[in-house]
Amino acid sequence: MDKTKIKIDYKKCGPNAKMDPRECRKCMNVCDPAVFLMHPTLEEHKDPYNPERWLVTPVWPCMCTGCMRCAEVCPEQAITVKAQQSLYQIRAP
Amino acid sequence: MKHGAGGKWYMNARNYSYELADEYNMQAYLEEQWKNMETLFIRKIMGFSSIGLGYKMQMPLVGRFLRWAAERQIHSEKPGRNPVRADGHFGQVIPLEDAQHIIGNLAAEPIIKNYCVCRWMQRGVKDAVCINFGCLSQIIPKLTRYIPVDQKWQLDREEAIAALEEQNKRGYVASVWFQPVPYINAICSCESPECGGLRLRNDFGLRTVYKGEYVVTADRDKCQGCKSCVRMCQFGALRYLPSIKKVIVNHDKCFGCGVCRHACNHDALTLVPRESVPGQAGKF
Repeated sequence: MDKTKIKIDYKKCGPNAKMDPRECRKCMNVCDPAVFLMHPTLEEHKDPYNPERWLVTPVWPCMCTGCMRCAEVCPEQAITVKAQQSLYQIRAP
Repeated sequence: MKHGAGGKWYMNARNYSYELADEYNMQAYLEEQWKNMETLFIRKIMGFSSIGLGYKMQMPLVGRFLRWAAERQIHSEKPGRNPVRADGHFGQVIPLEDAQHIIGNLAAEPIIKNYCVCRWMQRGVKDAVCINFGCLSQIIPKLTRYIPVDQKWQLDREEAIAALEEQNKRGYVASVWFQPVPYINAICSCESPECGGLRLRNDFGLRTVYKGEYVVTADRDKCQGCKSCVRMCQFGALRYLPSIKKVIVNHDKCFGCGVCRHACNHDALTLVPRESVPGQAGKF
């Protein structure tokens, strides 16, 4: 099975980039199947209750329908999608 | 796990008590779980993270092992559960009436309303719909990003009951949660596909969320074919058939949340106990 590959360039979006994913959130909002997950990095945080460094990970690529809206909406052009087979295509609900 | 009135585990008052929370040392567990809630899906568990879980579970042997390991983790009642993996954290869909009964009679104070974690981490939206109670509601205020701004979030029972009704009517599905089993401390108002539990259940077939104790039935005589219930269903269980000009229900897909009833002006949709419907008894 050919898997969908979604890549986010963390140099453009992430804790060290000028764009903080918590401020933007456009890719998550536009994604109908909710493929993206925004989460604190796995490192140790100064205040573990309120972590300061966040990332977006495309956590459910198998749900991606390849609409490319995330790549279009990203102000930093940080997202690339190579859409292949989604789980919906294997077993239609 | 002991069930309560009518064979429903969420009707057992002991599952809500501080006594039980102390016995299992839930305070420390929940604090650790909530500090790491958003990183749950990206952490490696036995060498596997949930990233691309749908594809991983399609693999012949690895997939079966992953399914077995995930189910065991979700339903774990053993000592030494790992809060970072949210072991023993699962829930069940309940209709509004049961949710209101829980808040009115069983939930331990204090009761708070906070932003939904799932919707924040998967949709980037802050939506204050999660009702938490018991010792969890003393932990969440430490995570300031989940405390609603410019609205009342410390609720009394009447306010929480009213909030649940309003959210249910908006189309959110009420669900009651163990974290961890058997301690109950949350009633969520879920939306598919952002909800972490419903995603795993609906898309990957893992039993993170059980179907409710009821299913909805549509009365063919009362249904006027206005279709307004169809848009309420989060599970795709309702369908309008142009040929007969009526709505039909797929009982296998119905979670028994009862949200569709709010849209019906003709009293055509009713919740009936799952046990009483042929083919649905015991299928959660």
